[in-house]
Amino acid sequence: MGRLFSLTYPTAVVLMAIRHGHRYGFDVMDATGLPDGTVYPILRRLERRGVLEGVWEDEEIARADQRPARRYYRLTAVGEEALGDVLERFPTIGRLFEPGTA
Amino acid sequence: MNEVPGLLWIRRIAWLVPRSRRSSWCREWEAELTWAWRRMSGRGEPGWWGRLRLQLRAWSSLTDALWERGETMTMTGWTQDLRLALRSLIRHRAFALVSILTLGLGIGINTTVFTLVDGVLLRPLPFPESEELISLQHEGRESDDQLPISTGLYQLYRDQARTIEEIGLYTTNQVNLIVDGRPERIEVQFVTPSFFTTLGVSPEVGRAFTEEEGLPGAGNYILLSHAFWRDAWGGDPGIIGQSIEVSGNVAEVVGVMPRGFGFPEPGARLWLNLQVDPENAPLSNFSADGVARMTDGSSIEAVVGEVGGLVDRMEEFFPESGAVTFLRGVGIAPVVVPMKEAIVGDVSTTLWVLLGTVGFVLLIACANVANLLLVRAESRQREMALRSAVGAGRGDIVRWFMSESLILSAAGAIIGVGIAVAAIRLTLRFVPNDLPRMAEIGLDVRVLAFTAVLTVGSALFFGLFPLTRFGSGHLSDRLREGGARGATEGASRHLLRNGLVVTQMALALVLLIGSGLMFRSFQALRALDPGFDPEGVVTAQIAIPGSVMEEPAQVLNFYREAQERILALPGVQAVSYSAAAPLVRGWSYSTMESEDHPRGEDELPVFGAWNHVGGDPTGALGLRILEGRQLDWRDGADGNRSMMISRTMKELWWPDESPIGRRMRFAMGGEPQEWYTIVGVVENAAQNSLQETPREMVYWPLTVGHADAFQIMRNVVLAVRTTGEPVALVPGIRDIVQTLSPSTPLANVQTLEEAMDRATSRTSFTMTLLGSASGIALLLGLVGIYGVISYIVSQRTREIGVRLALGATGTSVRNMVVRQGLVLASIGMVVGLGAAWAMRSVMGALLFGVSATDPLTWGGLSGILVLTAVAASWLPAWRASRVDPAGALRAE
Repeated sequence: MGRLFSLTYPTAVVLMAIRHGHRYGFDVMDATGLPDGTVYPILRRLERRGVLEGVWEDEEIARADQRPARRYYRLTAVGEEALGDVLERFPTIGRLFEPGTA
Repeated sequence: MNEVPGLLWIRRIAWLVPRSRRSSWCREWEAELTWAWRRMSGRGEPGWWGRLRLQLRAWSSLTDALWERGETMTMTGWTQDLRLALRSLIRHRAFALVSILTLGLGIGINTTVFTLVDGVLLRPLPFPESEELISLQHEGRESDDQLPISTGLYQLYRDQARTIEEIGLYTTNQVNLIVDGRPERIEVQFVTPSFFTTLGVSPEVGRAFTEEEGLPGAGNYILLSHAFWRDAWGGDPGIIGQSIEVSGNVAEVVGVMPRGFGFPEPGARLWLNLQVDPENAPLSNFSADGVARMTDGSSIEAVVGEVGGLVDRMEEFFPESGAVTFLRGVGIAPVVVPMKEAIVGDVSTTLWVLLGTVGFVLLIACANVANLLLVRAESRQREMALRSAVGAGRGDIVRWFMSESLILSAAGAIIGVGIAVAAIRLTLRFVPNDLPRMAEIGLDVRVLAFTAVLTVGSALFFGLFPLTRFGSGHLSDRLREGGARGATEGASRHLLRNGLVVTQMALALVLLIGSGLMFRSFQALRALDPGFDPEGVVTAQIAIPGSVMEEPAQVLNFYREAQERILALPGVQAVSYSAAAPLVRGWSYSTMESEDHPRGEDELPVFGAWNHVGGDPTGALGLRILEGRQLDWRDGADGNRSMMISRTMKELWWPDESPIGRRMRFAMGGEPQEWYTIVGVVENAAQNSLQETPREMVYWPLTVGHADAFQIMRNVVLAVRTTGEPVALVPGIRDIVQTLSPSTPLANVQTLEEAMDRATSRTSFTMTLLGSASGIALLLGLVGIYGVISYIVSQRTREIGVRLALGATGTSVRNMVVRQGLVLASIGMVVGLGAAWAMRSVMGALLFGVSATDPLTWGGLSGILVLTAVAASWLPAWRASRVDPAGALRAE
């Protein structure tokens, strides 16, 4: 099976960040340290290919917090599968998100 | 500012995103920014760094928006080149960093100064069709006398002039008002109802004044400023229809003006209706200023012509008025200027010079980057030749180089905008207080557009230099040469690089001379004798209207009692009261005459400045008595009719004799005034500025008229001199004044030294900006000369090696290299002196007490330029002298 997306290093880092619970655009930027301008296009591409899924946060929670609702990203089944590829290609990438190193 | 940084940007660029995705895209970015901002604010007020980071993150949404648009998907042509260029710049970090910082500095200060120029000079006034607004004033004796506009002339123009659609009068004043139980002195304007229609502004709440409210006997009405309404009444619309007491008179609030409204500048906290009797408006009371709106299609010249014609026929319209003769005497003439020009005044020269200055700095910065790019171009010749051999055309090569220049320039612009944001904030804090339209200054789309043009322009400018290295014919030769340095190519290459350095040196010298001259002006201003002694004096304004103390005698007692008590405060040396005070409050003018010099038929009356003083003016203000004595409480309505005159007044009428004992009086026409005997002559004191030529001045006592029915100045400047810190006295003085008169506030409290600083603020501001600009220019210029000499040395290593091998000493090699730097700097100096000479008249307009061609400044700074250039060449020269001859020869 051909890959759904080109697995560059930034793409891999974004996927791993989401896997480690950094689910909002700005969180991913903070967690990965990738240049600000690259993160969103990667998220969009992955979402469009079905690797990620973007979901709006519950309005109630946002309202209680007096701010607009945020959009978070989670891995789809395809995404979970793709993680295997990521780790195969960049075996040490998980270390980026281990506690104390991020 | 609680606005989340970047939200505006998101909304602006959202249109790039396809419509179907737009609202969701916007929502996501807004939510992220808001969330990040709230988290940041939760840890205390976010600093500039936090704001900047969030702003940068918001800007990065551009790539996202472009992605959504599908534009980044196709990486061809320019985008491909930009990507390659970006990679190559990342590889050559040091070069990229130096270039970007240099450009950032240049673009940053240009953006800053352009923000000032745009806000003050270019942007139209914030009124509808503001280009039709004109200032309508008068002058006499070829601009010696400033006569604003009288109610009589206002009425005349309003009735007769067809070139004027509407005309309004306004006069700015201060009144006492009880706000929240505390007496306050606030700025107000008395305006005719036509003032608002002329400007084309309506109240936000309530209504404006009606025509009837502008007639005598109509009662008092008030329009509040938005800020005052918010501060004092919490923005309660219920205030409309209520009455408030202003300086003892009851007035009804009829409306609230829109936020930020003010004319000519925001400042007035409320407006009161000025009443003019259309049948009997006096010709002579020139107490208000005039603003008018021209009719469609009319011009300044047409207004001047028509209004001038009406003035010529004054007798016809004011047959009864005694003022006609006087106004004829001074040759009254209307002065009509576009309102913007009237408000901006003479600050425009300063701002344009500053913009030119920072333009020079940017040129110098570009020359530096061009030089760096030239070096890089040398090292890429072989690569370019290869590309050309495999089919890249000239256009491709231009694009490769231009993408690099554009990236450098754009990155510089981002840093530059950051610098500008900080610099504008700093500038607004230190800007001279007489700079008009400050409220309108800010970084906005217009300024950013300017920055964008500057960015692209710079990129084109410095990007072109390396291209000269790749003329089409050269490339194949270069490939054949294998990149070896031919002997002939050196000449043109050096010429270009040397030319750039010479230009830098020349520009830097022009700026150095400019800032040096400003420094000398500042020194000259500071060295001027203002005619008074500002050290240790605090001043405050006091007004006691008739509603507070009806009898003049009460006011006089108040002054004397307050003086006694203030003198008892620790450290106080003297106390005085005066109607006007140097650099603090303006003097009034009137015609005067002396008993010894009756005015001849065809002689113009003497128009002098007058003041009323009481207490101890020489002690408190530090006026210097040249002859006789000063006025004190013995003088005035109750005692001697005495007066003091200034040195200029003495020189006018009594150049060779003592004026003591001679008599003078006001000569206003109409009822005869009383004669006052001169008891003292004082040194000329600065009135409104330090630069002005001293006018004839007289000082009357604080009380005038007959002892049984006298008048007293109720609106005075209190001055207190102390041996200690003058500001520390203020609470004590306020206590004393309010014990004696609870509803009398101290207004405009300031020290005379602050007034002096303000009087020199424009010069010191220009000096600081020019000084910083020329400092940066010199630094960049030195980096340039250092770079060029280093490069020359590196290119000549082999030759130097040969020389050393043949017995040249290190010193002689060093001198040889330094000489090259010296030659470049000297040529730059000569060119720079020529350029400065060409610009001497522009600069002259800003100077005071120093000639634009001051030899000391020119010579000294030229010397400094050449010396620092020699110092900058010394390091590469020293390196050259340490070349190992064997190594250098082997290396080839």
